[in-house]
Amino acid sequence: MTTARATLARQPRADLLSWITTTDHKRIGILYLTTSLVYFGVAGLLALAIRTQLARPANDFVGVHTYAQLFTLHGTAMIFLFVAPFALGLANFLLPLQIGAPDMAFPRLNATSYWMFLFGGLVIFAGAATNEGAAATGWTAYAPLSEIKISTGLGQDLWIVGVFIVSVATILTSINFITTVFVYRAPGMTMWRIPIFAWEMVATSLLIFMAFPALAADLLLLFVDRNFGGHAFDPAYGGSALLWQHLFWFFGHPEVYVMILPYFGVISEIIPVFSRKPIFGYTGIVLAAFAIAGLSMGVWAHHMFTTGAVDDPFFSFMSFLIAVPTGVKFFDWIATMWGGSISFETPMLFALGFLVNFLLGGITGVMIASPPIDFQAHQSYFIVAHMHYVLGGGSLFAIFAALFFWWPKMFGRKLREGLGAWSFWLLFIGFNVTFLPMHFMGLEGMPRRVYTYDATGVLPLLNAIATAGSYLMAIGVLVFLWNVVVSAFDRTPVGDDPWEANSLEWATTSPPPEYNFDRLPPIRSDRPVFDARHPERDPSAVR
Amino acid sequence: MGRSWWPQPVTTQASLMASNWLLFLCAGAVVALIIWGLVAFALLRWRRKRGAATTLPAQLRTNIALEITWTLVPLVLVCILFIYTYRAEAGVEALVPYPDVTVAVNAYRWGWSFGYRGGPTVQGSFSDVPQLVLPRNETTRIILTSSDVNHAFWVPAFLFKRDAIPGRITVFDLRPEKDGTYVGHCAEFCGYAHALMGFSVKVVPPADYARWLKSGPS
Amino acid sequence: MKVGLRLFLSSGAFAIVIAVVYWLLAREPAGTILLGFLAFALSFIAGYMIVAEREADLWGDDAQAKNTEAVGEVVGTYSVRSPLPIVSAAALTCVGLGLVVSPTIAVMGIIAIFALGALFIVQSS
Repeated sequence: MTTARATLARQPRADLLSWITTTDHKRIGILYLTTSLVYFGVAGLLALAIRTQLARPANDFVGVHTYAQLFTLHGTAMIFLFVAPFALGLANFLLPLQIGAPDMAFPRLNATSYWMFLFGGLVIFAGAATNEGAAATGWTAYAPLSEIKISTGLGQDLWIVGVFIVSVATILTSINFITTVFVYRAPGMTMWRIPIFAWEMVATSLLIFMAFPALAADLLLLFVDRNFGGHAFDPAYGGSALLWQHLFWFFGHPEVYVMILPYFGVISEIIPVFSRKPIFGYTGIVLAAFAIAGLSMGVWAHHMFTTGAVDDPFFSFMSFLIAVPTGVKFFDWIATMWGGSISFETPMLFALGFLVNFLLGGITGVMIASPPIDFQAHQSYFIVAHMHYVLGGGSLFAIFAALFFWWPKMFGRKLREGLGAWSFWLLFIGFNVTFLPMHFMGLEGMPRRVYTYDATGVLPLLNAIATAGSYLMAIGVLVFLWNVVVSAFDRTPVGDDPWEANSLEWATTSPPPEYNFDRLPPIRSDRPVFDARHPERDPSAVR
Repeated sequence: MGRSWWPQPVTTQASLMASNWLLFLCAGAVVALIIWGLVAFALLRWRRKRGAATTLPAQLRTNIALEITWTLVPLVLVCILFIYTYRAEAGVEALVPYPDVTVAVNAYRWGWSFGYRGGPTVQGSFSDVPQLVLPRNETTRIILTSSDVNHAFWVPAFLFKRDAIPGRITVFDLRPEKDGTYVGHCAEFCGYAHALMGFSVKVVPPADYARWLKSGPS
Repeated sequence: MKVGLRLFLSSGAFAIVIAVVYWLLAREPAGTILLGFLAFALSFIAGYMIVAEREADLWGDDAQAKNTEAVGEVVGTYSVRSPLPIVSAAALTCVGLGLVVSPTIAVMGIIAIFALGALFIVQSS
């Protein structure tokens, strides 16, 4: 690999200052990914504490006050500081490479977003150091519970400020992504030739700037209520307790898709590579992404069926409709594998784990979109199971798939395959042992956000199983960390394109030089690297 | 298994919800088996065999007829599910013109008060869990509100919950069909003692209910 | 940029339809106002793109463009390094934190933001 050696000589200085002041999208991407994984580690430890507390009824591993902070910080960190920002970090690294651009459209804005994300997360966690502890109202922070009359602690204010900073940073990043993809594509890289991941990030960015302003407004109102004597959510003064929920879920449901669309993109990149086929139904998958994005703006109150104050049939029907484009993606992935030549490297294993787990999360999602089912399932462990199948079994597995898949491109060396398979099976089995029983807990009548439960009946058994599963998952994550450590000592160069992949990022060196490309291959289809590898095939046969 | 993982329904409304659940459970199971089956089949049939010649498989990209089919079939399916959902919900939410019993339920941190129209008010917090007494085979109207933060009135055996929201009054009917004592929870996180904010529901024959109402809570 | 324009036009149209349908069915103000804002914002961006469209001529939109056409073209000026991002993010965080903890920190944050703004203008002119 002569090009790889040539690149190494050109690597910029790697001292701390150069990382702090960097505006290179690849470095910002790696900073984003690392930071979000650290937040994942913290949130994962909080989850282990939660599961330990729930291992048996009336356990006293943590007190009630600590427990409420645990699940609040766990949810907040996983959602605002891990699953969504990881996608932003991945896109930061990949988008310019995939469309053949030298950098993002606004590099300094990009760096600012990253630092705001880091600081915002720290502000949220800083609450834990205050006298009354961190915020303890759940990641949804329902008013009036989160009002100053009830939640008197400083932790709630820090939570508001932190989440606000993170949400502004996210909006700025979304503008950056859209501009980059629309304007900075390489010659010949038309919109209908960009990789599916890039399309999904366009849809995600669109969702972010449709949804996040509602969250920012909601937080601002609550902040004014708490600190400057407002009464937006206080019914005693003519405010509305429901308004918080409307604003929150107007953001909150699209946020679910912000946390899943990028990972649909990841899966759509990985399955074709390990099936040796192009993605099936490119146009259909792209249109499905925008159908999901559009419909998700009209489903927010399916989180409010049990208030009895919303138009249940409207929201129920809109929510059912989202199953259709999601189903289209599923069928397209299966059709991509159909008749292919399928191999089972670690990224593919995690992608297949995604298919298995996410399907179950999707099906329970359709169930709870039916109000008569939601009346039982809402705010019970059934919901906990459902959302963890979507975000844990879905997004988290896609995150590991992405790490294994793009690790060679980022660092120039592969993660070990054997250890990768171990961490996959530990995570896959651990995940299902943890979260499958939660469906039955919820249907049996266990509410969420409780630190103890009925000592009679099946709940103690189900909870003990779930706790055991969570430890298994923790071991899976430790194996992954060990993999990172040992593969850091591998000096075997992986080459530009270790997986025989399709999209443009594999045309440059691993890791890429500061301005990304020494030269671009001609772009005549959505698989320029495949075309370069197979000059005997005529790319003009496809778009 | 006979109850398909749900508690045995004990109200008229709950029976509607249970049959709706059964429909969704069956539809979900069929969809899951089909898709998992297709994935498993593809993986087994087209896994790359060791040492096989590395020819490129057919680079199939699209098939419009197939794609339209797998868009339209799920669309029809969710429309059918929606019709059943709509009917079930209409039955659950329907209010009778003249309920036999009316109870005003107020949730607060962290307890419940049950005020019977023309009768006593029973109140209890988490250290002394209150009991809601309801007559069997008669319709009870619940008038629900909260005096501080959001709570939710949930009786798992009724397969039903409804939020208690400060500044709002929410109304629904319950028609229990089986005698017995059932557990109730607060289902909306409302602060530290949320996990303990329970109550119980005792369904008794109408005659016993009338006697209880007269003599007052013991 | 036809695709991008089409994207915002169709999203804006969809938001308008949803807002109207939602109001007719639900008669609920909070959601209608939110959807109305959404429709306005998307239409605004679409409108801006129609105007900007006239000037745009992107080689990325040309399916037959050759890489050599991009040689020598200025793609924009990129500063490889800048201290501005981390400092301005820290200043913004100070403003938020200061509102909660102590006004002094907030005032310092605001001063820092103005100083950074001035520095930015000086640098880029």
